[in-house]
Amino acid sequence: MTADRKLEWDWYSGTVPENVVLDDTAYCETAFSFHFYRSRLPGGVEYGRGASTYLGTMFDVGPRGRVILGECALIHGARIICDAEILIGDYALISWNVVLMDTYRVPLDAPERRRELERIPAREPRLACADVPAKPVRIGRNVWIGFDACVLPGVTIGEGSVVGAKSVVRESVPPFTIVAGNPARVIRPLNAEERSRHA
Amino acid sequence: MKAKHETITALAPGRWTHGAPPANVRLGNDTVITGDLAFKRFHSREPDALVIGAQCTMDGVHFDLGEKGRMTIGDFCYFTNAVLLCELEVRIGNYVVIGWNTTVADTDFHPLAPAERVADALACSPLGGGRPRPAIPKLPVLIEDDVWIGPNATVLKGVRIGGGAWIEAGSLVTRDVPPRARVLGNPAQIIGTMP
Ligand SMILES: CC(C)(COP(=O)(O)OP(=O)(O)OC[C@H]1O[C@@H](n2cnc3c(N)ncnc32)[C@H](O)[C@@H]1OP(=O)(O)O)[C@@H](O)C(=O)NCCC(=O)NCCS
Repeated sequence: MTADRKLEWDWYSGTVPENVVLDDTAYCETAFSFHFYRSRLPGGVEYGRGASTYLGTMFDVGPRGRVILGECALIHGARIICDAEILIGDYALISWNVVLMDTYRVPLDAPERRRELERIPAREPRLACADVPAKPVRIGRNVWIGFDACVLPGVTIGEGSVVGAKSVVRESVPPFTIVAGNPARVIRPLNAEERSRHA
Repeated sequence: MKAKHETITALAPGRWTHGAPPANVRLGNDTVITGDLAFKRFHSREPDALVIGAQCTMDGVHFDLGEKGRMTIGDFCYFTNAVLLCELEVRIGNYVVIGWNTTVADTDFHPLAPAERVADALACSPLGGGRPRPAIPKLPVLIEDDVWIGPNATVLKGVRIGGGAWIEAGSLVTRDVPPRARVLGNPAQIIGTMP
C-alpha cells in the first residue's frame, strides 16, 4: 500500500480507509471492496497476517461494525454485511458469492420497513441502514464455506467445519461438522481419520 | 423441412465475439461464444482442451478450465451465463440447455480434512511462497443428450445426468440423476419423470 493508501496494483482509483488495518503480509485485490464501508471504529476491518481478499469481496460495514480476518484467511469474493461484528478465524476459506450478514438492515415489521425504504432514495450511497438489532457472526478457525452460501445473523460456525456450496445457514454449526442444503442440515461430523490427517 | 446437408453447407466457422479463442479450443461450424469473460480463467494446457460441436450458442459462458482440464460439448447446445469449472473432465452431450448463473464443477477446490485445509489455506495465502497444495479429488461430470438445466442451479463433482433429465431452477445436484428424471431442490430430489 502507498503512503496515500492506494493499492499499487489496483484498477480502482479509491483508497483503503484510514481505519482499515492491512499489513504488508496481507493482500487486498482492490480498494473497491470498501466502496460501501462506513465503519467509524478503529480497525473497522483488520486483516491478519497473510489474509487475502479478492475481487467481488465487499465490506458493507456500518458505522459501528467491525470485521476481523484471521491469519491466512482467504476470501474469494464474499459480501460481508456487518453492523456489529463478524469474526473470521485463521485459515478460513470463504468462496465466491458467499454472503455473511449479521443484520437484515431493515425492520421485520412491514409498515416500519416501508418507512425505511422511503428514506433510501435521499441517501448517498443509497443503502438500507435502519437501526435494527444486529447479531454477531463468528466463523471459526479452519472453516470452509462453499460458493453461493449464505450465513445469517447470529450464527457461529465451529472450528474446522464445512458449509456446502449454496447452503443457507440459519443455525449455529458445531466444530468439525459438514453442513449443507437450504436450510443447512448436518451431513455428518468429520471423522477421526479426517481430523487426524496431516498434509 | 430442409435437408440437413443443405443447412450445414451454409454454416459459418465457429467464433468468439471477442477475438481469437485460445489455440487449444476447437469450435464447430456456426457455434458462437459471446462475452469478454469467456476465457478469462481458461488455463488449460491440454491439446484440444475445449471442443464444442456445431450450431451451439454459448452466451456469456465462463470456460474456467484448470491446467489439466478437458471439456467437450456436443451440437445444438444453448448455455446462458453458465460458469463451467473444469480441473479434470466435463463432458456434455447434444441439445443440452444450461440456464443463467448455473455452476458446474468437477472438483471442490479444497480438501475436506481440516489439517489439509490449513495447509491449503497457507499455500494459497500471500505467505504461501510456492508451497505445494495438498491433493484435491477431481471427478468427471457427465451431462448426457437432451438434458435441461434451469437457472441458478449447481452441479457438483462426479455427477452423471442421464439423457433427457430436467433439472429445475435453483437445484443443487450432488448425486447421479437417472435418464428423464425431473429433479428439484437443495439438495436435489427426484420429483417425477419427463413425458
Ligand atoms: C460440502 C462438500 C465439500 C461435501 O463434499 P463430500 O463430502 O464429497 O459430499 P458428498 O458428495 O459425498 O455428499 C454427501 C451428502 O451431502 C449432500 N451434500 C453435499 N454437498 C451438498 C451441498 N452443497 N448442498 C446440499 N447437500 C449437499 C449430498 O447430497 C449427500 O447426501 P446423501 O448422502 O443424502 O445423498 C461438497 O459437497 C460441496 O459443497 N462442495 C463445494 C465446495 C466449494 O464450494 N468449493 C468452492 C471453492 S472454495
